Amino acid sequence: MAYIAPKDFSQDPELLATVMRVMGGDLDLSWMKDHPHPVRAQASQPTRGLTLDDINQDPAYGPESIPEIVRHNFSMAPRGAVLPDGLPSLGYRVNRKSDVWADHGPSLFEESKSRRWAPARTIPWKELDSADYSREEDLAIRQIATSLISASLVAADVPSRWVWLMNQEFHEIKYLLCAHMFDAARLAEAFRKRALYGHGSLGRDSRELGDFLKMVIDSETFPLASAATNLTLFSILQGLGRHLEFVSRNAADTRLATYFVQDATRSIAYGVDHIRSLLTKRPNEVVALNEHLDLIENGLVGLLGSRELIEPLIVLSGGLDAVASFYRRTVEEYFERCASAGLGDRTDHSPLPDFLKLIEGQR
Amino acid sequence: MGIPFPSLEFFKALQQRTKDEAAAFEKLGYCDTTFGIRVGSELYRVVFEIYECVEVGEGGDPSELDFVLSAPLDLWREMLEAIQANGGADAAHTINTLTHVGDVMKVEYEDPEGHDRLYRFMATIQAFLDEASGLDLEFA
Repeated sequence: MAYIAPKDFSQDPELLATVMRVMGGDLDLSWMKDHPHPVRAQASQPTRGLTLDDINQDPAYGPESIPEIVRHNFSMAPRGAVLPDGLPSLGYRVNRKSDVWADHGPSLFEESKSRRWAPARTIPWKELDSADYSREEDLAIRQIATSLISASLVAADVPSRWVWLMNQEFHEIKYLLCAHMFDAARLAEAFRKRALYGHGSLGRDSRELGDFLKMVIDSETFPLASAATNLTLFSILQGLGRHLEFVSRNAADTRLATYFVQDATRSIAYGVDHIRSLLTKRPNEVVALNEHLDLIENGLVGLLGSRELIEPLIVLSGGLDAVASFYRRTVEEYFERCASAGLGDRTDHSPLPDFLKLIEGQR
Repeated sequence: MGIPFPSLEFFKALQQRTKDEAAAFEKLGYCDTTFGIRVGSELYRVVFEIYECVEVGEGGDPSELDFVLSAPLDLWREMLEAIQANGGADAAHTINTLTHVGDVMKVEYEDPEGHDRLYRFMATIQAFLDEASGLDLEFA
């Protein structure tokens, strides 16, 4: 099914007459007089280059020109452009600034491009040839890499479900979500390479991981999806990356984990800023967000307890103690981020503290 | 006569290395953070902006820093000796490994967003400390 424009342009006498007049030298040039608000946009820090924040300084083009509810532009026209009559609606459904906005969004987008890496060359894969892992540890790393491929692919899917529904007025956030998709695709690529490198194989996916990721991806609104993805999912992924770096014994795994952590943390940074900004504007949303995270964290208990995750972590960590410590630290830091975002103390709602006590009781 | 550790001179030497090795630090990308390094009771302040370390200093208010990496002198010495022996931190002596489980090195912070800057810019911060591999050090 395709969109059919209301006018048959190839048979439009007005358009054809205009073309003939222009071809005959009768240029109107009215578009040249239409510049509504010329600005001076230059790099504030030449070493950093011309950033989105630099070109957003003028209120006519910057994000402060976006109303809380966008009603004036549903077309593809960029923010600040002259909008002629008759622009088509592109059917955007996310038209409320506080549903998406984070003041750090533009700089996080710049950072994501600046801190780019390429798994093919950035990771010194040959170092794995002499890695000092037992057979069991080698299989455990490949098992975790398999789970991380799944998680990364879903981390790419989530923004893709929302970015095309977002009004163009929020273009910086759309750019950032596209960068998140690229970041997540790169992580899926990197962990597929890690799982298969040398004489490798993929491990086993798990139902618990699938259920957790399905809860994340099925979040009903963008704010719920952002909280579930950027706060919950990426807090766990960041923790896993830090633990993989901790158990690494070679430069390849150390570097892969370091880049994994830095990419995951940019998503966290957007999530914290976004949810805080939303709750500052609309404090009542805290109820829906916390109720959603109650469910998401229930799924997370399943993931953290699944054989396909906890067993390889125990094998790599030399026992349960280090895994229990890592789980506790990761969950506590996640709760700190939730509190910083304005969600309050989640420890009373969440099933995670009881789960941690259960694990710690086995030490 | 080597550069004493801990000392402001040591951190100024690392700062200079981010300028001497500008291409390597630029490849790692933007790094915007102000953090602390506490050696025993001595606090040093390190300011990164864009690609390089633009300022180091002694003392200051920890609450104004994104995070503070804190460890006794012996641990810093062990880490720096590993960096010098291997031309950079080995897997057992990276900042992440030392701070992850067991609090071998503590990360002090007040704001979770400041704390997360450690992880966003870990590769640059590690590269900064790895520049000690080229310094002639004398430990206190």
